[in-house]
Amino acid sequence: MKKLRLYYEEYNKKPYQLLWKHFVPQHFALFGLIILSVLLLLAVISPFISPHDPYQQNAELLLLAPSWQGSGLVSYPFGTDDLGRDLMSRLMLGASYSFGLAILAVCGSMLIGLLLGALAGMTRGVQSSIFNHLLDLALTIPSLLLAIVIVAVLGPGLLNTIWAIMLALLPQFIHGVGNAIQEQLKQDYVVAYRLDGANNWQILWSVVLPNLWEPLSLLFTMALSTAILDIAALGFLGLGAQAPTPEWGSMVADALDSIYLAPWTVALPGLLIFITVLSINLVGDGLHKAMKKRRGS
Amino acid sequence: MILRYLARRLFLLGFVFVALTIFVFSLNYLFPGDLVSNLTGLRDISPEQHQELQQTLGLNQSIWQQYIEYNRRLFAGDWGLSFSSQQSVLTEIGKVLPATLELTSYALCLSLLVGIPLGLLAAVKKDSLLDKCISSVALVGYSMPVFWLALICIMLFSLQLGWLPTSGRLGVLFEVPAQTGFIFIDILLAPQIDRSAAAYNALLHLTLPTLILASYPTNVMIRFVRHSMVDVLDQNYIKTARAKGLSRGQVLYRHGLRNALLPVTRQVGLQFSSLITLAMLTEVIFSWPGIGQWLIDSIYQRNYPAIQAGLLVVSSLVICVNMLTEIVHTLFNPLARKL
Repeated sequence: MKKLRLYYEEYNKKPYQLLWKHFVPQHFALFGLIILSVLLLLAVISPFISPHDPYQQNAELLLLAPSWQGSGLVSYPFGTDDLGRDLMSRLMLGASYSFGLAILAVCGSMLIGLLLGALAGMTRGVQSSIFNHLLDLALTIPSLLLAIVIVAVLGPGLLNTIWAIMLALLPQFIHGVGNAIQEQLKQDYVVAYRLDGANNWQILWSVVLPNLWEPLSLLFTMALSTAILDIAALGFLGLGAQAPTPEWGSMVADALDSIYLAPWTVALPGLLIFITVLSINLVGDGLHKAMKKRRGS
Repeated sequence: MILRYLARRLFLLGFVFVALTIFVFSLNYLFPGDLVSNLTGLRDISPEQHQELQQTLGLNQSIWQQYIEYNRRLFAGDWGLSFSSQQSVLTEIGKVLPATLELTSYALCLSLLVGIPLGLLAAVKKDSLLDKCISSVALVGYSMPVFWLALICIMLFSLQLGWLPTSGRLGVLFEVPAQTGFIFIDILLAPQIDRSAAAYNALLHLTLPTLILASYPTNVMIRFVRHSMVDVLDQNYIKTARAKGLSRGQVLYRHGLRNALLPVTRQVGLQFSSLITLAMLTEVIFSWPGIGQWLIDSIYQRNYPAIQAGLLVVSSLVICVNMLTEIVHTLFNPLARKL
């Protein structure tokens, strides 16, 4: 039908539709996005759909092999751990700790970062210079070290490490948002707006912020992969999630004792962390490429 | 011009160190437990001693005087005692820091030596099969949780194949007294041992941790160099150079490489902080007697003076490396020298 149309109508797609159009042909990135959506779904509904109770210990089924091995059972697809807990249920619940909490942490950090970054980006002179140098200091303290200090002050626990990770991610966001805003302020349309008599606040709210979603989404994917790796690393060191909590990093650490007898108890949680971070990076790269193409088109 | 720049940087360095010491000093108040024992590291303090220490530490003065007093003690080398061993924290750090420096510097060198050529290769042959292979391997390595990779490699190379040792810096057969803390220098200085065999053994111990630690920065470097080189090759001056009739190699070397590698110097400094984080994890897994493992042990033991001192030393190290790469970057790049 389209070919028969005599009067060719000018039709501009919306920016999001254009982005999606350039995102979809990148199959790996799309695949990553699908995995991420599944994980997000799992993070929300896993307590309701897990086949067994993730904390239920079963003395008769210790270190049961995964079902693809001869000695496994179909009702325990990934086998059980050294206390007889169903590994699949634990891994599913782990999605909400490792992935869900990471998303929450990054969102929180991003909101605060947006606020402070806007302050840093819109101010100039001594104020901004002092602020930036303090940020440089915060950027140089390694995130794990910062987490260790926070754990030393507040005590170990999943929630405390979330604070630590939020704090560790914050400087990146402030820097990123500040730079992006500075970049925006140089644009001609901002100058035009200013000539119309808009004050700083109006420029920030109605011109700069709507243009920030591109750099923000890239920052978000980068921060999310860091956050997941950090949560897992802290869990692995025993500073984050504590013993029965099925967080993936701490599951790897728990299963280390039985690595000879049951290598899958170490391999599977690690594999999940890897897949999650990989798909985040795939989506991030795909977004980056799609944005570049959208600008080009 | 350049002197003014250096003076400005030095001033900035001083400012950052003041902020850092204020932060570390305030931790004394934030950590649970008694203020006096947090500051000195002494465990069982009698009431009379407590009074006396409060006097010498200046705790009955204002908080700014306390901070100045704290700085004076830092400069005098009196960093307090470790809760667990009741030895000076500074001497303990002196023992563990060289091991970490050794591991991180080898890993950093390896990541530069492997990462830069591969990144350049991928950028030059953009969108070819080679580029796709390198980029996807880099992406996979970039997403790998380092502790898991370490465990898998230990399982494979140490336990299944038996090629490499699992932990430590040197086999127990070799008795090498720690003098400098750097293992190869110590082996050279050690009396009456088979030096070549000891060095070979140390090298075997070093291989796996270095490779694991280098994996993340290498992949970051590949991605960064590729990105930077692709950007540079898109510039107009490259087209101009081609149009002038320069050969491909000349264009790449004279105009491409030099401009593409400039941001890399800066990236090294930025990477150093994440390298230290990863080094801490690697040290724990490989029982490498470095500052990372020492710090993690300190947190299990609630060893607050040690955590403070470790924070101070590691952050200072990272800040200095950052500042150094920043200065090197400015020396090489006139565009960054705006004042």
